[in-house]
Amino acid sequence: MLGKLSFRNAKRQALNYIIYFITVTISIGLIFSFNSLAFSKDVVELSSEMKYFKEVIIITSIIISFSISWLINYTMKFILDKRSKEFAIYQILGIEKKDISNIFVKENIIIGIVALIFGVLLGMFLYQIFVSIVMNIFRQPYEIGIVFNYKALLLTIFYFILIYFLIILKNRKKIKNSKVYDLLYSEKQNENHVIKKTKHNKLLFILSIVLFLITVIIVGYTFSYSENVSFNMTVLSIITLIMGIYLFYISISGFMVDFYIKNKKRKYKKSNMFLYRNLTSKINTMSITMATLAVMFVIIIIGTNIAMLMNNMLNNEMEILYPFEIMISTIDGKFTDYKEYIYANTDVIDMYEYKIYNVKETLLASSLENTSLKDRKYNKLDNVIKLSDYNRLRKILGYSQVTLDENEAIVHTISTASKYIKDYVQKNNYIDLADREYRIKSIEDSNLGQLGFNGYIYFFVVNDSQIQYIENMNNNEEYEEYYNNFNYKLVATTKEKTTQQFYDDLCSYITNYNLEKTVVYNGVEEKYNVEMPLGNVLTRGQREGETKTFYTIISFSAIYISLILTMISATLLAIQQLSESEKYKYRYKILRELGMDEMDINKIIFKQVFIYFAIPLVIPILISIPIVLCIGNIFTLGVKYQEIIKNICMVSSIFLLVYSIYFVATDVQFEKNINEEW
Amino acid sequence: MEKLLVVDNIQKYYGNKDNITKAIDNISFDVNDGDFIGIMGASGSGKTTLLNCISTIDNVSSGHIFLEDKDITQINDENIAKFRRENLGFIFQDFNLLDTLTVEENIALILTINKHNQQDIDNKVFELALKLGIEDILNKYPYQISGGQKQRCAVARAIVNNPRLILADEPTGSLGSKSARQLLDIMNDMNEKLKVTILMVTHDSFCASYCKKILFLKDGKIFNKIEKGDKTQKEFYNQILDVLSLLGGDFRDVR
Repeated sequence: MLGKLSFRNAKRQALNYIIYFITVTISIGLIFSFNSLAFSKDVVELSSEMKYFKEVIIITSIIISFSISWLINYTMKFILDKRSKEFAIYQILGIEKKDISNIFVKENIIIGIVALIFGVLLGMFLYQIFVSIVMNIFRQPYEIGIVFNYKALLLTIFYFILIYFLIILKNRKKIKNSKVYDLLYSEKQNENHVIKKTKHNKLLFILSIVLFLITVIIVGYTFSYSENVSFNMTVLSIITLIMGIYLFYISISGFMVDFYIKNKKRKYKKSNMFLYRNLTSKINTMSITMATLAVMFVIIIIGTNIAMLMNNMLNNEMEILYPFEIMISTIDGKFTDYKEYIYANTDVIDMYEYKIYNVKETLLASSLENTSLKDRKYNKLDNVIKLSDYNRLRKILGYSQVTLDENEAIVHTISTASKYIKDYVQKNNYIDLADREYRIKSIEDSNLGQLGFNGYIYFFVVNDSQIQYIENMNNNEEYEEYYNNFNYKLVATTKEKTTQQFYDDLCSYITNYNLEKTVVYNGVEEKYNVEMPLGNVLTRGQREGETKTFYTIISFSAIYISLILTMISATLLAIQQLSESEKYKYRYKILRELGMDEMDINKIIFKQVFIYFAIPLVIPILISIPIVLCIGNIFTLGVKYQEIIKNICMVSSIFLLVYSIYFVATDVQFEKNINEEW
Repeated sequence: MEKLLVVDNIQKYYGNKDNITKAIDNISFDVNDGDFIGIMGASGSGKTTLLNCISTIDNVSSGHIFLEDKDITQINDENIAKFRRENLGFIFQDFNLLDTLTVEENIALILTINKHNQQDIDNKVFELALKLGIEDILNKYPYQISGGQKQRCAVARAIVNNPRLILADEPTGSLGSKSARQLLDIMNDMNEKLKVTILMVTHDSFCASYCKKILFLKDGKIFNKIEKGDKTQKEFYNQILDVLSLLGGDFRDVR
C-alpha cells in the first residue's frame, strides 16, 4: 500500500511540477547527448585535438550535475512545504517517520527514473542533431542511425546518482526531524522577513551601485592590455561584482517600496499598489535566491561571450594569416623540394615566390604603443614588400591592383590596427624607410598574411625602384641580426583543401642548420650550437582543422552549460511563482470580489510574472555589457567591436528565447491556477 | 466506569519571554471509557490546543496526560507513531484524506501499516463502509465525492483499527446541516453501539447536544461542566445555550 502511495504521489507530483519535470528531463537529455558526442568515435577521430573535447564535456557535466542538484533540492523544499499537511497526516495516522521518508524517497526515485528514461531517449535524438552539426562543421559525411553509447550512458547514470543521492539523504533527514505540529500549521506561518529600515536599504543600494562601478573600472583597467591581466585583479573584480549583486538584490525591494509606495501619485496609479506590494514582499524573502540567479546569469552571459570572442579571434586570425592555401617561408630561398611535393600531391591554381625586406622599426610602431596590439609586434623591425610582388599577391587573391609613385608608400595592416595607424598618419603623413622619406599614400587592411607571414600587424609597400636602397641597408653589418629571417616566401593556392597529412609531409622537407650562440651566464661566456630550421610551413587546411576543433569544443561546451543554467534558473523562478499561486489566488480573489474583471486581473498577473522574471535579469545584462566590451579588448586582435556587439546580441537572444519560453509557460499556468474554481 | 483518560493539571504557554500567552491554564478532567465528551468555547479559548495536546500533536508545557495509566506527555519520538496508530483515531474539520488514494485505500491504509492480512482488511473495510453507508463509493477518489461522504470516510478511517479514543476537531465544520446531522447520528451510534470513546471539539451548540458531557473553556480554563444525564436532546441543547449566554464573549454564531 505504501508503495502504491509512493507511485501515485510521484505521478501527481510530476504533473503538478511539470515544468520542473521537463527541465530535469531535458537536462538529463543534454547531459547524455553531450557525453555521447564526446565519446563518439566519429567525433573524436575528426582531429588530433578533439580528445580535449571529452575532458571539457566531462568537467562541464559535473558542474552541471551540481547545478541540477541545486535545482532539485530547491524544488523539493517547495514540494515539502506544500505537502507538509500531507506528511502531518501520515504522522497522525501513526506511520513511522522512517516509512514516511521512505515514501518520499521512493516517489522521487520513481520520478527521477522516469526523467532518466525520457532524458536518455531525448538525448539519443539530440545526439543525432549535434553530431550532424559537428560533421557539417568539418564537412564530413554522416549517416543518421541509432547510436547508443554505453560509456556515455554509464556516465549519465553516474551524474544522475550524484544528483539524487545527496538530495535524498538531505530530505530524509529533514522529514525525520519534522514535528507534526509544525507541519500541520505551517500554512498559517507568516513570511519571516519584514521590510527593514529603508535608510539602511538606500545605503546598501548606493553601495551596490558603487561596487558595480568599481568592478567595471577594475575590469576596464585590467583588460586594457593583455599584459595587465592579473589573477589578483580578476579575482578582486569577481568579488566586487558578486558583492555588488547580492547587496543590490538585498536592498532593491526596500528601494522599490520607497519609490512606488511613498509617492502617493505613483502608488495609487492603476494597480501599482497591489502589484508592488505583491512583488516587494516576495523579492524580500527571495533576495538571496534572486542574487544567486543573477550571478549565474552573469556567468552565462560573460562566459558565452568569451567563448564566442575566442572563436571570433581564432577565425579572424586564420582569415588574416592564411589567405593562401600553402605558405612557406625559408631563410635561404630554396623551395625546390617543397615545390616538387606540392605539384606532385595537389592541383595548384597559382604559385608565386617573392622576398620581403627588413627595415629598422619605424615610428609607426609607436602608434600601437598604448594599445593591446603592441605585444603582438614581436620583432624590432618592420617589413617592406615591393610593389610588383604586392600586386601579384593581390592578383592571386582577386584584389584590385594599385600604383605607387617613387616617393610614396602603402601601409598594409589589419583592420583592428588601422584606426590607430590612421590617427598616426593624420598627424604625420611621412614615414622613414631606410633613411628615405615616403609619403603614405593609403592604408590597406585586406587579408594578406600580415600577422607573422608578411610582416607583423603591418608592412609597407614601396615602388620597385626603391628596393635597392633597402637592400643596401640590409647588407650593412648593422642590420645583420635582422638578416637571418624567414624572408623568402612561397605562396600557392590550390583547387582542393589540403589535409593534415599534406601538412605533415610538407613539414618533413624542412631542413635544419646549426646556429652558434653565445650566452653570458654568471659572467662566463658560453658558446653552444642550436639546430634551427631553415624553413617554416603553414597550410590553411591544417589550420582550419585546428580552428574547427577548438570552435567545436568551445561553442558546444558554452552552449551546453549556458542552456542548462538558463533552464535551471528559469525553472526555479517558475516553481517559486507557481507554488505560491495558492497564496496569490486568495489575494487575486479579493481583487475580483472588489469588482475587477478577468482581463484586468490577467494583465496584473502578466505584469507580476514579467517583473518577477525580469528582475534577476536586468542587472546581469546591464553589468555584463561593459564587462564583455572591456574583456573584448584583449581579444582585439582580429575582433572588432561590431563583432563583440553582435556576439552579445546573439548570446542574449538565445538566452532570452529559452528564458521567455519559461516565462510564458509560467504566466499561462499562473493564470490557470488563479482563475480555476471561482 | 473505568477511567480511560486523565488530564492532570496541564498548562500550555505560547510566545517568547516578553509576551506569554497561556493557551491552557491548569486544566484537569477525566474521561471514562465509553464517554462522548464535547469541548466548547469561543475562538481562542484553548479548545483546539487542548485537543492537540491530548492527541500528541502538540506538547504540554507542564502537567500530565494519562491514557490507561500511560503518560502520553512522556512518550519519546520512536514510540509515538506506534502509540498513535494503536490508540488514537482522528477526525478533522477539513477531512484530511489522502487524495492520491481511493476511499477504500484511505480506510485500509492504517491496517496495512499494522500488517493485517488482506482478507481481514477487506472484511473490516467493507463491514465498516456498509455501516457508514459509503460502500458504493469505495473505489472513488476523495475529489470525486461530497463533503459528507468524505467525512464519513474519515470516520471509517478513524475507527477501523478500534482505537481507544477518537479525537474530533470540529467534524461538522465543513458540512451542510443535513450531512452534519447524518454524521452526528453516526458518531452517536458508534458511541452507543460500538462503545467508542469520543472527544469532540466544537463551537456549534447543536453539534454539542449529541454529547454526554460538555466542558466549557474560557481563556484556557474550564468555565463549566454539564452532563446530559436523562435529559432529552432538546433540553440539553437549551441548557447549552444557557451556559453559552453566561459565557458571553464572541459567541455570536450560536444557533
